[in-house]
Amino acid sequence: MNNGCLENRKKEHDNSQKRPKSYKFGSKSDDFALAIAKVAVAQLCESVGFQGFHLSALETLSDISVRYIYSIGKTANLSANLAGRVEGNVFDIIHGLEDLGSNLGFSGASDVDRCVVSSGVVKDITHFVGVSDFIPFAYDVPGFPVVKESTKTGSFWEKGEDPPGEHIPSWLPAFPDPETYATRLSVENETMGVSNGKKTESELERVERNMDRSLLNLQLRFAHNENKGGSSHGSGYVATESNPYFAAPLHVGEKEVSSVVLPTKLSNEVALRNPVHVDVGNHVSVLETFAPAIEAMKSGLCDSDNVKKKLLYDQRPTVRFKIGIGKKSLGTMSDLNSQNEEDLLKIASWFGNDNEKDDKKRRVEKILKESVESSKE
Amino acid sequence: MNHNRQSNDGKHDDDSALSDFLASLMDYTPTIPDELVEHYLAKSGFQCPDVRLIRLVAVATQKFVAEVANDALQHCKARQAAVVKDKREKQQKDKRLILTMDDLSKSLLEYGVNVKQQEYFADSPLTGIDPATRDEVRIMLLLC
Repeated sequence: MNNGCLENRKKEHDNSQKRPKSYKFGSKSDDFALAIAKVAVAQLCESVGFQGFHLSALETLSDISVRYIYSIGKTANLSANLAGRVEGNVFDIIHGLEDLGSNLGFSGASDVDRCVVSSGVVKDITHFVGVSDFIPFAYDVPGFPVVKESTKTGSFWEKGEDPPGEHIPSWLPAFPDPETYATRLSVENETMGVSNGKKTESELERVERNMDRSLLNLQLRFAHNENKGGSSHGSGYVATESNPYFAAPLHVGEKEVSSVVLPTKLSNEVALRNPVHVDVGNHVSVLETFAPAIEAMKSGLCDSDNVKKKLLYDQRPTVRFKIGIGKKSLGTMSDLNSQNEEDLLKIASWFGNDNEKDDKKRRVEKILKESVESSKE
Repeated sequence: MNHNRQSNDGKHDDDSALSDFLASLMDYTPTIPDELVEHYLAKSGFQCPDVRLIRLVAVATQKFVAEVANDALQHCKARQAAVVKDKREKQQKDKRLILTMDDLSKSLLEYGVNVKQQEYFADSPLTGIDPATRDEVRIMLLLC
């Protein structure tokens, strides 16, 4: 805790490690407010004369002070509601304070006819304000909790379109463009017409298309969210603006989704490691993002530790569909294995053309040599 | 009649005292920030557009915390004074006043808040036994 000259000491038997936390004041969403309360309470204790705290004692006291505020609010709200009001009043608050101070007592508590205005509680507080020093809070507190902007649903009304048909209300989300589902229908008609004997194949294709579509949607949604939030977590990850519905339907073994721009360091690593797809520049296809998963499977068979380590530390794919990719690529995996050595040698030759980063080239060649050697074993 | 008039005057004084006090609150910024108090009042359902009331709650809480801390300080000083009678060295060392759970729980007890702590924690039934008997007990447990 940073609070000027105060130090915090923690004794071993203090139960500050695991406490069963109640949802109201111990949940994760309340951490920020509790932290502010801790700072304020620490400042107050310092003004009283303490020079240090036990962490558990500070946490306990801040928790109690927060509950004090909460109970004042609750009692005040109760008395306001009893009086038929929604908004609170100064009298409601004084009632709440009297309730809380009743077990310790305040002057005039036993009077039957007392008025709230002349309550002893207020006098005590007035006296306190007059006596105590002015201690401003140590930090600048922003207004919280921050209100999130509601996302637009893309309704007919928002887009300014007229919904086709009177039975559709305008607050519903708009239909996608008609071209998108027109082509799909035609493709499905074709498959239906051709395959009476090839039913299983068309079903497979349909299933795979659905998987691809869901993959697509998910990645788009990620890119969309990152675009909106502008998060630094995904800095460098930018989805190119292409309408996925206009793209040709995918076939088995191929995956072309909207490209993702990686930061140059990551993109180089990914480009280096992928034996099947190589894109010049920063664009990376989905297969590349799944490259670590594919590599992991390959390395599981080849037993190369370096590649594994590198995968674990450096790579961060945007979408994790390891199981799906595993199932899919099992069919293609056997093919890759036989061509493994050739591909790895191919990569080495490719990087002869890369003029830019020599260190990475040397590192890559080392890794490739090691993996080739291990695969030979 | 006279009594009523006097009580009315008294009420006016009290009213003005209260309104003056609320006005003075705007000059005095309490240590507990307004945003924090607003957050917890909103959590409890108390709605109020008036800033002065929030300041009032903040000042009341500050007073409460200051009183509790004061009582804990008295306990701490009393304990140090009791120890000083034994050794003079401790007085020079323990000049630092530290808020401990013991003092805090004693002072909170007067305010009706019961904060109790375990005196010690034992990981297993064998903790705290001397090693010789511990081995015996362990062997006995294994045999059973």
